[in-house]
Amino acid sequence: MSVRTIQIVQNILAVNDEVAAQNRARFTAAGILAVNVIASPGAGKTSTIIKTMQALQGRARVGVIEGDIAGTIDTEKVLAAGARDAVQINTGGNCHLEAHMIERALDALDLHQLDIVFVENVGNLVCPTHWALGEQIKMCLSSAAEGHDKPIKYPEIFAASDVIVLNKMDLAEMVDFERDFFVKSVRALNPHAPLFEISCRTGAGVAAWAEWLYSQRSFRAPNRASHTALETVSRL
Amino acid sequence: MSYLLENVEARALELGATKVLSINLVMGDRSTVVDDSLLFYFDMLSPGTVVEGAKINVRRTPMRFHCAYCKDDYAPISENFDCPRCGNVGQVTDDGSELLIESIEIET
Repeated sequence: MSVRTIQIVQNILAVNDEVAAQNRARFTAAGILAVNVIASPGAGKTSTIIKTMQALQGRARVGVIEGDIAGTIDTEKVLAAGARDAVQINTGGNCHLEAHMIERALDALDLHQLDIVFVENVGNLVCPTHWALGEQIKMCLSSAAEGHDKPIKYPEIFAASDVIVLNKMDLAEMVDFERDFFVKSVRALNPHAPLFEISCRTGAGVAAWAEWLYSQRSFRAPNRASHTALETVSRL
Repeated sequence: MSYLLENVEARALELGATKVLSINLVMGDRSTVVDDSLLFYFDMLSPGTVVEGAKINVRRTPMRFHCAYCKDDYAPISENFDCPRCGNVGQVTDDGSELLIESIEIET
């Protein structure tokens, strides 16, 4: 009998990242831009998807993968609002989507009929951040009503996102939202990601955000989160 | 947690281990993993596997920012990300993003 210490230095989520890479290859092969939408409950994920889809009506065919702990209400909503296709994933208590769930959802979607796929993650700003799904764009959706301190409390999602969308800006004044503090905190974490201010209720800012997204259809950069993990491993 | 266990279990069996004595992890503060929940799930999921009874050692790494004016790194205070020395806001560094199995100690 002997005792040995074995050096491993492996990213704990390596298995998930492998499946995510396969999902990304499937999206890419089908010419699809996949967007992982991460936000708190009530930030307006479904409303933002619907408004964006409507802004791109006639130009981009949109599919939605809905992740919820339970229920199909959001899938029904996006289909009624004009989504070409939608699949519901019920995580049964899991607080985030994982790459293998998306792998199954992809089998159910007619990928060749779609240009953009939104993956609406479970409402949570913590866990979804670390699980790559195979998206080309990780989107952090925040809202004025949640407060300007969100980047201080949940820094990693703001640091890891490719784009940040700030919803409910029509309420900013009523809820004493300090925009400058929010922007300064976001920029300390993520100097380059575009930041769009919108209101799904009034429609303000939606067109500019939708145009930017549409322009990203040729975007093929690897997911930032997996990237960071790889860099971490190589550094150690 | 199941990802962590499966990783360690697979590696241990591959190496012909009869028992895993300890698992050494690096968890950055940015990874938002809480030690207590990790240990809770470990106790729940490990019985009956080769990792049962292993000691989990977690090395935490803090989130840090770099101040371009002071040319130095700093840990932020809780209310904002400003540099505690000069008050300017810095840029986040990669420190604290780790979520790694660094090593395991096995009995063969």
